[in-house]
Amino acid sequence: MRIADKMALNQVNAGIQKNRAELTDLQNQAATQKRVNKPSDDPLAATRVLSARTNVNASQQFIKNINQAKTFLEYSDQSLGEMTEVLTRAKELAISQSTDAGANAISRTVTATEIGQLFDQSVQVGNRKLGDRYLFGGFKTTNPPFSKDGDYRGDTGEMKVAINKDADVAINMPGSRVFLGQGIRSGRVRDDAPSENSIDLRIYENGGELKNEATIRGPAGADENSDAGKGPSNLSATWQNNGTNVFNVLMDLEVSLRTNSKEGVQDSLDRLDEALAQVVLSRAEVGSRVSTLQSGLENLTKGVIDSKALASSLEDVDNFELVSDLNKSESTLKASLASSGKLIQPSLLDFLK
Amino acid sequence: MMNSQTALQTSGHNIANKSTEGFSRQRVEIQTNTPVGSGQLRYGMGSKTAAVTRINNPYLERQIGNERSLGGFFDGKAEAMSRVENVYNEQQNKGLNQFVSDFFSSVHELSNNPESLATRTQVRETADFLTKDFKRVHSQLHEITRDLDQQITSQLDEVNGMTKEIASLNEKIQSVELQGGYANDERDRRDLLLKQVGERINIRWAEGADTTVTVTAGNSALLVAGYDAKTLAAKPTAESATKAEGAVDIFYFNNDKAEPINVTQQITGGKVGGTLAVRDQVVTDLLSDVDKMAYSFAANVNELHRNGFNAYNETNGNFFELPNEIRHASANLKVSADIMDDVGRIATAGSAQSPGDPRIATAIAHLQNDKTMSGEHTFDEFYNSIVGKVGVQAHRAETASTTQRDIVKQMNNLRESVSGVSLDEEATKLIEYQKSFDASARLIRTADEMFDTILNLKRM
Repeated sequence: MRIADKMALNQVNAGIQKNRAELTDLQNQAATQKRVNKPSDDPLAATRVLSARTNVNASQQFIKNINQAKTFLEYSDQSLGEMTEVLTRAKELAISQSTDAGANAISRTVTATEIGQLFDQSVQVGNRKLGDRYLFGGFKTTNPPFSKDGDYRGDTGEMKVAINKDADVAINMPGSRVFLGQGIRSGRVRDDAPSENSIDLRIYENGGELKNEATIRGPAGADENSDAGKGPSNLSATWQNNGTNVFNVLMDLEVSLRTNSKEGVQDSLDRLDEALAQVVLSRAEVGSRVSTLQSGLENLTKGVIDSKALASSLEDVDNFELVSDLNKSESTLKASLASSGKLIQPSLLDFLK
Repeated sequence: MMNSQTALQTSGHNIANKSTEGFSRQRVEIQTNTPVGSGQLRYGMGSKTAAVTRINNPYLERQIGNERSLGGFFDGKAEAMSRVENVYNEQQNKGLNQFVSDFFSSVHELSNNPESLATRTQVRETADFLTKDFKRVHSQLHEITRDLDQQITSQLDEVNGMTKEIASLNEKIQSVELQGGYANDERDRRDLLLKQVGERINIRWAEGADTTVTVTAGNSALLVAGYDAKTLAAKPTAESATKAEGAVDIFYFNNDKAEPINVTQQITGGKVGGTLAVRDQVVTDLLSDVDKMAYSFAANVNELHRNGFNAYNETNGNFFELPNEIRHASANLKVSADIMDDVGRIATAGSAQSPGDPRIATAIAHLQNDKTMSGEHTFDEFYNSIVGKVGVQAHRAETASTTQRDIVKQMNNLRESVSGVSLDEEATKLIEYQKSFDASARLIRTADEMFDTILNLKRM
């Protein structure tokens, strides 16, 4: 092949350009510490990084949601615990006053006053607030759900918050359920009412309205078809049919005590049991929700780490590799510069003297 | 001696044009003179310079032209794509992916605490940022269209200049070669210009028997015929199926009287062709995609939002001001004025009088994972696939352009091998002809001496 001067020069030029471009690219990677600096560097990785980032963001938000929900539920649990104590105390008092052996009209009047105080305490528990929000008012979180006489002014709303891509969890226990026993019926899941202790799968139609709510039973929930729940089966007998209005029970007990009605007090014992069972059941539900949240939290935390690791492995540079590549390119550049000098220099003209 | 001088002159010319682009080395063709005969004897009459020709492979030239045209196309594409890519580059900056994510996070926060004014305000802010980013993508894509148009216009100006020069070269070459000469330098120049025009737009050209070339752009736009050059011009036109309002079309001016002809569809090669391909296919698609996404986003959020009740127990309010049509939705998308004025108008509750009811907020938050884009993709998937598509296209254009550049480089090397000037070669030629010159001179001196000898015969 005939070699013209321009060929040699072009070759030198092209070689140096190529080496310099390579070096610049590596230099850029070293500066940004990213292998992918624009989508065309690695289109597949770029899109996967984006979706991994979305995942991280979404998961972190779900984690926030869960933590909020946990706070709410744990505070509810605490309040329900207090409620259990109140009812247990009431029962103790009622038992002590249920026979004529250890009680009389005077002791019953004294006890009635204490039951009155327990009643007030129950109302206070019912009106518990977390921050500015009442725990037991259903959707009506801005006004106290219970009046001084124990009348419920909230609703049955369950505040459902997303805890992952396709599951919501209710962060509250409406007072109507805990204190009035509404919506608690022999452990069955009714189609028209959101089930207690369940995670709802929401299905949207037309991308909008809430059309259908399929339910997945939570761990402590009852089997949909069996009459009695599995978890709290020992309680099922006591909360069959309808729930109990806790306030009414206490109020009736107080009235019975004041009127010195032994039968009334004895009657209250069973109803106190029911009320207690109802509160304990609600508490169990809250507890199981918290534990569901906890396991969800662990999954999400792990997911965040995984997604971050994925994004990093896709877009970040391997520094060892980078440095060795840099060295390689640099020595290539030097070599081509050195050889270029040799290639350009000599010409026949240099030897014609 | 004259022959040697011509040869030296040519070598000098070669050396001087060593670096001239498109130059082909020239050679002096020396032939023996017609011998003179008398009887049995035939005397050689020395040599004559038959012609100065250029060493050139026309097939190679044409091939280089084709490859450069392809190279121009990929270059145009790669340049334009790298700009488009920047709009979607979220490796360093926040983009739509991030803003969509932020919006949904804020809605989640709202569902955690629907009573709070702070979370409501945050939703409004993130929504506002989101609409602004939709607008940014839209306007950047438009800006790119305008820039590409400017590039097309300036490229066409260059083409017009070159075709004019080709036409005048046609004339010169014809006048030289009709007299039997070789218009070496003019032909080199014309070859180069043809390649350069081809790099900008797709042309077909042919050399006629009369030595002039005829150049046609696309299929029918006759740019150079004989000594005449016609022009191409870019002018903004109304919107069409392939391009946006105000973007330029390419017109061919046949003569001053005739109506200019729109030849945009015929320009499919060269740098202008590559630029047009990105402008009319890629950018147009991207604009319609981002419009679709903005519209669908607003429509979906609105639909859920209308079912909800706001802090004033009003229902049926819109969150976004839904643009009238999908076209330009990304530019026209706005958070509704009511909500901008008062975040209390963000509806979170599924029923009236329920300040703590987060059902609507939760439902909106779940849109993030719903397949809202024509039932197949979530917003995130849809957007990411756009980024992927842009990335792949930019990557492919860049690779093609690099490859093509390598091919052209290789072909140019081949051409240099045939037509390029080698200093070593010219130096040997110089010595060779110098020696011939010396020898011829010596011959003349010898003849002169002999003549002297004859003249001095008598004196002796």
